[in-house]
Amino acid sequence: MLKKTEKVKRDLQEEIRAVTTLKDAEQLKIKYLGRKGIIQDFMKLIPALPAEQRAEFGQQINALKAEAANFIEEAIGKLSREAIPKVNNEIFDITLPGKLPLTGKKHPLTQTIDDVKEVFARLGFDVVYGPEVELEYYNFEALNIPADHPSRTDFDTFYIKNDILLRSQTSTVQIRVMEKQKPPIRIIAPGKVYRPDTVDARHSFMFHQVEGLLVDEGVSFADLKEVLNQFIKTYFGKDVRMRFRPSFFPFTEPSAEVDISCSLCSGKGCSVCSYSGWVEILGAGMVDPHVFKAVHYDTEKYTGFAFGMGVERITMLKHGISDIRLFYENDIRFLSQF
Amino acid sequence: MKISYNWLKEYAYFYLSPEELADKLTNAGLVVADIKPVEDDYCLEVEVTSNRPDCLGIIGITREVIAAVGGELRIPDTDFETLSTKVTKFIDVTVEDPVLCPHYTARVVRHVTVRPSPEWMQKKLRCIGIRPVNNIVDITNYVMMETGQPIHAFDLDKISDQKIVVRRALDGEMIVAINGVKRALFHDMLVIADSKRPVAIAGVMGGKETEVSDSTRNILLECALFEPGHVRRTSKELGVFTDSSYRFERGTDPGGIERASKRAVKLMKELADGEIVSGVIDIKQREYEKKRIPLRIERLQKILGIEIKRDIASDILKRLQFTIVNEIDNFIDVVVPSFRGDIYREIDLIEEIARIYGYNNIPAKTSICVRGSIKSKYEVVEDCIRQFFIGLGFYEVKTFSIVDISPLQSVKLWSEQDALDIANPLRQEESRMRTSLLPSLINAKRYNVNHGNESIKIFEIARVYLAGDKLPHEKTCLSLLIDADFFTLKGIIESLVLHLGISLKREWISFSEPKLFRDERAAKIQLDDKTLGYLGEASRELGFKTSFCLSELDMDFLAEKSNFEKRYHPLSLYPPVFRDLAIIVDEEVLWTSIEKCITATHISFLKGIHFFDVYRGKQIPAGKKSVAFNLCFQAEDRTLKSEEVETAEWTILDVLHTTLDAELRKL
Repeated sequence: MLKKTEKVKRDLQEEIRAVTTLKDAEQLKIKYLGRKGIIQDFMKLIPALPAEQRAEFGQQINALKAEAANFIEEAIGKLSREAIPKVNNEIFDITLPGKLPLTGKKHPLTQTIDDVKEVFARLGFDVVYGPEVELEYYNFEALNIPADHPSRTDFDTFYIKNDILLRSQTSTVQIRVMEKQKPPIRIIAPGKVYRPDTVDARHSFMFHQVEGLLVDEGVSFADLKEVLNQFIKTYFGKDVRMRFRPSFFPFTEPSAEVDISCSLCSGKGCSVCSYSGWVEILGAGMVDPHVFKAVHYDTEKYTGFAFGMGVERITMLKHGISDIRLFYENDIRFLSQF
Repeated sequence: MKISYNWLKEYAYFYLSPEELADKLTNAGLVVADIKPVEDDYCLEVEVTSNRPDCLGIIGITREVIAAVGGELRIPDTDFETLSTKVTKFIDVTVEDPVLCPHYTARVVRHVTVRPSPEWMQKKLRCIGIRPVNNIVDITNYVMMETGQPIHAFDLDKISDQKIVVRRALDGEMIVAINGVKRALFHDMLVIADSKRPVAIAGVMGGKETEVSDSTRNILLECALFEPGHVRRTSKELGVFTDSSYRFERGTDPGGIERASKRAVKLMKELADGEIVSGVIDIKQREYEKKRIPLRIERLQKILGIEIKRDIASDILKRLQFTIVNEIDNFIDVVVPSFRGDIYREIDLIEEIARIYGYNNIPAKTSICVRGSIKSKYEVVEDCIRQFFIGLGFYEVKTFSIVDISPLQSVKLWSEQDALDIANPLRQEESRMRTSLLPSLINAKRYNVNHGNESIKIFEIARVYLAGDKLPHEKTCLSLLIDADFFTLKGIIESLVLHLGISLKREWISFSEPKLFRDERAAKIQLDDKTLGYLGEASRELGFKTSFCLSELDMDFLAEKSNFEKRYHPLSLYPPVFRDLAIIVDEEVLWTSIEKCITATHISFLKGIHFFDVYRGKQIPAGKKSVAFNLCFQAEDRTLKSEEVETAEWTILDVLHTTLDAELRKL
């Protein structure tokens, strides 16, 4: 008896393999599982069996029935998935394109500012803003840039009136914050700055900077290095190397310019890094005591560091953009790439 | 500052290739931007920061190399034989303005032969981009490039009455500069004059009439110190920028005058067969006093965050040619060399030590404390608004805040005051601070249309600049431009306001600004009786083929009124009942009146009024329109009976009829 059920199972499996259409599969289902099907025929044999074999045989039949049903359902499922449903002979072409909802994009410069804010927020820096049209005092004197000083050459400025100008760096915000607040201070200040540069692929009379400032007791150059290291590794990637070079800013002492290894050529030298393997990304340094004096901080008690970076510059580096003018033309074909 | 590799090597022994040298200098803070082979030499383009005039001479750069790699500085000697005649026999000098000219020296060299300078000198000058002229002029350039001290050679025989007066110019006095340009001078400028006229603009440029020429026989050599700020002002005012003014305005070495002057006359003796007259005219305000600065090692370590030992610090300072007067425990007493005018505080010494120790040898490590920082409300709102618009398919743009003075740019949406103008614009196209972002968005739209991007949705968040008391008021605006109709943009704004949790009363008032908006299709949006902003279809005058809409909103106001506090309201357990109504009213009846009428009924279970259509046409009499809307009724505490809803409907229709003469439209 067991042999018989085994044979039925084998026959069924063979027949299933041969089935190619849903219709044939349905036929097979009737043939085996229907009211007049093969398995039902077995059932009819049960009453004729000796009493002690009936239960066992019944179990075998039920098992066969369950297995057969499984095989057939599986085949039907498979065939119906493959079958192309037809509606009045129309073919439902699932390869036609979907209907795309149009989404917009943040401007790439905003994306950079947001990314920078994010990194520094996690280090406990608050975001603050300051005016773009500024008193000369905040842009120059308070930042230790006296009139007739050659360092003013580095800060050509648009003027509105005698002592009112468009800020040429975001460092103005440092002073405004420190005037109002006692240490400890931990801020970043993103914003627009203006310099009378003729527009070309690398210059713009308006651009964006992010300024950073940390003031507390016992803040050192080593702290500055590590904070910027954290930023660079987070923003540019952990394999990027950084280099500090001595430099000069009137509002920091010691001052540094910070380079990172050129990501385009991984430091081998290319046109982007003018074949040096390094690209400059920010200026930084320990807050100059003159700046602290301007805001009446005790220079013996407090030390601090400040840094500033050009948003366009790091965005151009990150995405390989070669012309700064693209940011302000706002061609949708450009904006949609970021 | 361009330097010659071979020239530099004359002052110190070092075994560095030009590239290695460039690297050392860059790491010490003198960025070498470029290395160019020139003949059998290399020209290095060094970027000298404005605080380091001492590096505007090749010897100064050599000092930096030695500080970095060690070794001895070899400076050419300046001993020479002189004639017995005294310099005072040939020239008399008066300094009338000792403040602007604290130190003036003059030497005389007689019987020179002016001819081309020797090849070795010409080669070095060519390497650093200076055109050789003749031996005398070349020597003045050579010594300036070597020492950083500008010097000037006059043709002594052309100085009237053998007199030099260092004085203020008389207003309107003229001088023909070496480059042949005649210039009028003003009283605030310092000149070197003879008995009759100015012969040089102090520290800036010599005059043509007294310049050295092929026939020159006797030389008056000026080597002086001029007040930096004054030289800078003069050179700016005249628009004349020379190698000399560049150095003076940054500050030359008060202790280097004698050597530079001697070096120059010695070269004139050697290369132009000149005879040096004995002595020197030397008019000095006061003896230069070297600065003395105590350095606390503890402070050094605190600022740098690293354990630098005292002996290392003092060794670095010595290599930089500082003098250590005294060293005890945790102090070093330092005397600053005269050529380092930038060093006058303890912190300046600390930077020097850090610089030579190597910034990259200071470890990056921090123990700054943990500090929580939260976004300000403004930040939260700005982010929220950006996400909202991006989700709706808007692109964010950034446009210039400095604009032109076209009529379009002079729209006054936010203030009646005139816009701020830039006093020193680069071009007329960028000479005014904008008072609205909309003209810039219109330009961005135009740019996109011209580049084949027909249908766009853009927004910008930026400031406008409105005249204020002292500083202007910088208002942050949110501006929108969309290729869609008025009600699409109005809907977006309504949706934004709800999204920001603002439930204040909004009013839409007719508004006219023909430069921006099409007449009768623009509105001012009031929030709580204050202006939130403007919305309208773009004016046809702007010259676009298709119509689009614009809006500008007060972002600061939006941020202030935004409310992100969310309170849960229990959901009603009872089903809502919806009723559609269409009423016929006069064309003049505005939706807002219909809405107000319905609200005025104060039916407690009326939960919403939703407009869906206006119809004018066949069954509607002329001058009338059919307005269709949907009412939603729902009670919090029971299932509404149909009679209740019916009664409410009739109440509403009744009020609409008595107030607005509205008829129910029979369908």
